[in-house]
Amino acid sequence: MIPRERCTYSAIVDRPPLKLPNQARIVVWTIVNLEFWSISRPMARQVLPAPTGQVLLPDVPNWSWHEYGMRVGVWRFFDLFAHLGIRPTLSINARVCREYRRVARAAREAGWEFMGHAWEQMPIHKVDDQAQMIAKSLDTLARFAGTRPVGWLGPGLTETYETPDLLAAAGIRYIGDWVYDDEPTEIKTTLGPLVTLPYSVELNDIPMMLVQHHESAYFTQRCIDSFERLYREGAERAKIMAIAIHPYISGQPHRIKYLQAVYDHISRHEGVLHWNGVEILDWYLSAKTEL
Amino acid sequence: MLPSERLDFSVISKRPRLTLPDGARLAVWLIVNVEEWDPTQPMPRTVLTPPAGGMPMPDIPNWAWHEYGNRVGFSRVIEVLDHFRIRAVLAINGSAISRYEPIARAALERGWEFIGHGFTQQSMQKVADERDDIHKTAAAIRGFTDRHPRGWLGPGLTETWETPDLLAEEGFEYVCDWVLDDEPVWLKTRTRPIVNLPYTQECNDVAMMLIQHHKASEYYDRAIDQFAQLYADADQSARIMALVVHPYIMGAPHRLRYFRDALAHIRDHGDVLFWTGEEILDWYLAQRGAG
Repeated sequence: MIPRERCTYSAIVDRPPLKLPNQARIVVWTIVNLEFWSISRPMARQVLPAPTGQVLLPDVPNWSWHEYGMRVGVWRFFDLFAHLGIRPTLSINARVCREYRRVARAAREAGWEFMGHAWEQMPIHKVDDQAQMIAKSLDTLARFAGTRPVGWLGPGLTETYETPDLLAAAGIRYIGDWVYDDEPTEIKTTLGPLVTLPYSVELNDIPMMLVQHHESAYFTQRCIDSFERLYREGAERAKIMAIAIHPYISGQPHRIKYLQAVYDHISRHEGVLHWNGVEILDWYLSAKTEL
Repeated sequence: MLPSERLDFSVISKRPRLTLPDGARLAVWLIVNVEEWDPTQPMPRTVLTPPAGGMPMPDIPNWAWHEYGNRVGFSRVIEVLDHFRIRAVLAINGSAISRYEPIARAALERGWEFIGHGFTQQSMQKVADERDDIHKTAAAIRGFTDRHPRGWLGPGLTETWETPDLLAEEGFEYVCDWVLDDEPVWLKTRTRPIVNLPYTQECNDVAMMLIQHHKASEYYDRAIDQFAQLYADADQSARIMALVVHPYIMGAPHRLRYFRDALAHIRDHGDVLFWTGEEILDWYLAQRGAG
């Protein structure tokens, strides 16, 4: 199905406002992305293209740069979120449970929500058998985490026209690929409605740091500017603000303090909930029936 | 026709003085671009590249990112313009009028000017039948507003050698694609001449945020600097200043304040007019007569 067959256009101002419990104004949804980059393929992202732009195979420098996130950077995340008392959603390539067992175990022990994020990091268009890959990923995560994930984010948010149908068939109840609203929405699939949660490509260290090449400090500024605006709007209508981070980017020594500064700013406000994806889903499903 | 066949070279300081009413130095016009992106085609702009690059189709994440502007961002842009009581110019794809009817209605209710912006968001050089595209766009606007549009902006300012001729023949009186002056100019066509109004690629969120990857605050800084210089230049002759926004860019929560603050600065000057394109056109025709 093309997107228009899954949802019609709807202006947010024409919808009745959703309300959060206890007069809360905003939900902050933090998503940590853990990925497996196969050394046998071109790297998902590059910090350093080879001299003269040649495509490297193997691409050891960029593979190592990502690997740093798993060896070092992610432990800065675990420290930070333990200190803050926040349990993020973990968007995880299922293969990470095998290849980086130590990291996945730390997330499980910290009580983070496991969200499906494919088997390994490549565009979903290039997967030969999507249904099989989705099933294998969810089975692996279910075995590892003890509960079957209810959420899914495509690698690079990628989808084909069939992906939402295949995800619904596999028991997925929310996806993060549709960054088209401030509220959860429902899209059609061949198996009934599927909820979209407002993930972010604006407050996301990949577009900001690797595509747009902003300075590290700008992460704080952009998140605060977003928060201030959404917090104001949250007086009338529940708002959700997603922050998407990767250990090889925001876990760098020079960036981690700018991530912490975001949460320091937010913590000075009343009426803020730090929820994971499944908590947002459960709230949405009950809040919309009360409208 | 080649550009040199459409107009002669002319130095701005050597032309007769233009004067605005009531001693105003500057007319500012504000153009809001509303587009429909076809999810079965490559996206006109992207915020996020897929893992390991390439252009896998469909591109759902970037489609959704643009759609956010029409679902959510546009209402923020409206809020700012209402606050400053500015009537903007809506440059809208013909197909977007019915697709995003609440947006078109909000613009119509506020007395904004509608100008043609291609029937869909694609280069005029890729449109199968350019005259038909222009004709359909004009018809869509006339059908909704009961007025034939007077102005035209090519999608991405694109033109073929023939575009100004076709626009004149289809009843358009001005075009915005030629960002070559601070004053309106006449362009020859194979029938009657057409006016070009000074649009901008400089104070334009597509160029600034998506291509040059500036911080949101640069929109404010650049608008202020641009304004200060044009305000000073107006000692010689009246000047026109354009500001361009797209709901999916400046309507993001973290960018809106910089747009609002830029307008607040300009609004503080009593000798500045906020005009629509047709107000600038009618004034220019009265000042300079027919081309």
